[in-house]
Amino acid sequence: MSDAAANPALAASTSRIAAALGALPHGMPQSPDGPVIEVELANLHAALRALREHAGFELCTFVTCIDHYPTTPRFALHHQLLSLAHNDRVRVRCVLPGESAPTCTDLWPGANYMERECFDMFGVRFEGHPDLRRLLMPDGYDHHPLRKEFPHQGIEPDRLYRQWDRARRASWAEESR
Amino acid sequence: MGSLKPVGPESNEAHGSGFLATRADFLINWGRKHSLWPMPLGLSCCGIELMGLLGPKFDLARFGAEAARFTPRQCDLLIVAGTLTWKMAQAARTIYDQMPDPKWVIAMGVCSSSGGMYDSYSVVQGIDSIMPVDLYVPGCPPRPDAVIDAVLKLQKKIEREAPLRRLVGTDSPADARAEAGTGKLVFQPNRGLPKGAADKHAHDPKSRLPFADPLPRKTGVKP
Repeated sequence: MSDAAANPALAASTSRIAAALGALPHGMPQSPDGPVIEVELANLHAALRALREHAGFELCTFVTCIDHYPTTPRFALHHQLLSLAHNDRVRVRCVLPGESAPTCTDLWPGANYMERECFDMFGVRFEGHPDLRRLLMPDGYDHHPLRKEFPHQGIEPDRLYRQWDRARRASWAEESR
Repeated sequence: MGSLKPVGPESNEAHGSGFLATRADFLINWGRKHSLWPMPLGLSCCGIELMGLLGPKFDLARFGAEAARFTPRQCDLLIVAGTLTWKMAQAARTIYDQMPDPKWVIAMGVCSSSGGMYDSYSVVQGIDSIMPVDLYVPGCPPRPDAVIDAVLKLQKKIEREAPLRRLVGTDSPADARAEAGTGKLVFQPNRGLPKGAADKHAHDPKSRLPFADPLPRKTGVKP
């Protein structure tokens, strides 16, 4: 294996991850920035738990989604993990058949806001998330801005503000009557 | 008109007794324009330039506007410095409403003036779609000098206001002249305000007339 000869650290990382995942079905293609673990949705949470507990990935640095519209299934969830002990990073990729995924906040509480942002921007619902509200867009907004079909100038971006303004003025008119 | 000199070069008597004759409008405006109290609404990088403006190097105190307060209830000049998002718009409008009259607004930087480079779903395309604006300062961000220029222009603008007209509620001095001698009551406070508005404190945002929704923007249409 020429890869292992050229990069012993990468070889050690790959074998550590393979040992942690054990019999869990997964693919592990190499990308320019390290190994990518591809798992099915059903195995996602188990794979993340195994990586955290047996491969030393104690930090989840990023959770995001990629919209591959118009191909179906369109969403692919990405977890970027970091091991400080082994100075190692790995990415876990999971293609979502629908629009929901298991949360990983029980493994890494810091993933809370990242999953909220992912829900806000892509509409991916994280089952079991303690507080799945929008993070950046106002509450009550109907759309998910980073989906491919969303126009970049937005869909009625001022609707919620106008609603709030009208309700406020109506209540004042009620008071002064 | 428009001066604080004593009446007449020969009226030493009046001068010596401490009298001044001037227009009330002028005197009120003179006081207002030299004691602006800015409310710094720093929303992004323009806020850093605003801090430089209020600091010792550019020193807005030279123009009487250094007393920045971080509560809108003590301010009469709202400086919106930076990118206003639709989520923040409610807060910005509430801050504007909480400022006592008379009040002025400076849109600092292209983001607050027109949305700037953020032609995007989350950004208000110009704060004039949610509140009236007196002055727009271009720049990304504008240098503090540009904002000083805006404050000086705002002082010129305040000079042209007629605060007494607002007090007596006449639409124009011509109306007041027409009514004089006809037996009609010239002094009608709050004429033209909606019913019940006069019951509230003048500083209550609820007593203000609504600011109309803007016309839909025409983009890419040439006249």
